[in-house]
Amino acid sequence: MTAYREVVVRTPLALKILPIVSVATFFIAWEIVVRTGVVPDTMLAAPTTVTQLLFDKFTNMDPDGALLHQHAWVSIQEAFGGYFLALAVGLPLGLAMGWFNVAEGLARPIFEIIRPIPPVAWIPLTIFWFGIGLPGKIFIIWLGGLVPCVINAYVGVKMTNPTLIQMARTYGASDWQIFRQLCIPSALPMVFGALQIALACCWTNLVAAELLAADAGLGFMITMGRRLAMPEMVVLGMFMVGLTGAFIGVIIDRVEKRLLAGIRR
Amino acid sequence: MQNAARPRNKIEVCNLTKRFGELLVLNDISFSVAEGEFVAIVGPTGCGKTTFLNTLSCLLPASSGQILIDGTPANPKRHNISYVFQEPTCLPWRTVRENVAYGMEVKGRPRKEIDERLDHILDMVGLTQCANLYPNQISASMQQRIAVSRAFAVDPDLLLMDEPYGQLDVKLRFYLEDELVNLWRKLKSTVLFITHNIEEAVYVSERILVLSNKPTRIKAEVKVDLPRPRDFMDPEFVRIREHVTDLIRWW
Ligand SMILES: Nc1ncnc2c1ncn2[C@@H]1O[C@H](COP(=O)(O)OP(=O)(O)OP(=O)(O)O)[C@@H](O)[C@H]1O
Ligand SMILES: [Mg+2]
Repeated sequence: MTAYREVVVRTPLALKILPIVSVATFFIAWEIVVRTGVVPDTMLAAPTTVTQLLFDKFTNMDPDGALLHQHAWVSIQEAFGGYFLALAVGLPLGLAMGWFNVAEGLARPIFEIIRPIPPVAWIPLTIFWFGIGLPGKIFIIWLGGLVPCVINAYVGVKMTNPTLIQMARTYGASDWQIFRQLCIPSALPMVFGALQIALACCWTNLVAAELLAADAGLGFMITMGRRLAMPEMVVLGMFMVGLTGAFIGVIIDRVEKRLLAGIRR
Repeated sequence: MQNAARPRNKIEVCNLTKRFGELLVLNDISFSVAEGEFVAIVGPTGCGKTTFLNTLSCLLPASSGQILIDGTPANPKRHNISYVFQEPTCLPWRTVRENVAYGMEVKGRPRKEIDERLDHILDMVGLTQCANLYPNQISASMQQRIAVSRAFAVDPDLLLMDEPYGQLDVKLRFYLEDELVNLWRKLKSTVLFITHNIEEAVYVSERILVLSNKPTRIKAEVKVDLPRPRDFMDPEFVRIREHVTDLIRWW
């Protein structure tokens, strides 16, 4: 049995202090640039103005018609709706395409036709079909998340060690047994990779969809900020999009680690 | 060369030929193996030993000729074939015990039987202590032992082994060869064992098939009728080993 030794890596002092310095400098410089009028406040809002609006937006519906957390909640709902649908359809489809010739033969050409069209290009059609409510946006997000799910699952199955497949065949394993017992476990690391990639795709497409067709959500808030010529609302919207995205990313990361730990150590 | 005490042939290979395009690898090979026999195959590198086992196990289609097991064409779904590959084949997401169980699970043996047999086999090869470890936690030689145990666990009609101990050091090799012979004697399987190592072939087998260079034929057949456990120093052992070496010198 091999003994593994923990390697202790210490963070150098420079890497502890400099990040704080750089972030502080960034915000202070931003504030100064706006306050002194180097950049006019019609083009960019100072961090303090944005922070003010941030607290204000928790209680004040005006001028965009919803509170900040309501916007965020709408966005999260849409993102997760599309995301889970993408996982539910994309992963089984990609896994099957990787192993079963019938699945690959039927689904691959259609997938290859749809893949190069950016999901955002579907927005006008989805407005015809669904209007600007939740279903249309879920459809766009679903399309965006589908692609990495299918590709990762497909590649994961294709990477199954061929000797393992031969081994199973000599024991008389059926195609289905090999798929279930060898291909799926082999593909799991790639599938887990897809969880993060798909989420990033979903979130990007969500904001794009909300910018163009929405009546609520963080992307909508950004658009309203532009229409009302309120740079502080634009910046707040951008900031919230980043924050919420990072927050969901952390959650998925946790879930992924939990799942991986359950499967192998 | 048939032993009188062995009534029937387990495996019959008739005029087996294998080409890869223009390249003739196996040239009209015929031989038979009796039930419960341990046959070693030695041959030069690249002569088609792996190809030979792959056709026997139906992983590759033969270009012509036939392989019969118990009188019917070999078929992994019907016959009980086990194959220990040259490279390790542990499933990294299964523990040692689950890895050894894999073949039996594929064949749909009842859970109770699987567990009983696992206890027996793991005990026999001394893997009981590490039964719950994962393959990345054990050494490469142990991984090969898992493959061997898994192969024996399904009680195979035909056990194919492709240089399973090729990468191991001499001492461990002796140990595992003894283990292999023990398993074979207790479980009474029919074994085809490929090796580069002539001493190993003489040590484990009852009969040695010497292959020629490509296009490959069976060049000679040497019977090893020595009592077990065998002794490397025994003059008869040395004589057989040198005889096989002489045959091989003309490769
Ligand atoms: N799929 C294939 N396509 C074409 N040629 C092949 C294929 N597989 C094997 N060969 C050729 O057949 C010959 C025999 O290969 P094989 O792997 O059976 O040799 P081997 O006796 O097992 O060698 P080693 O002792 O190194 O394991 C080689 O010349 C090889 O190049
Ligand atoms: Mg080989």
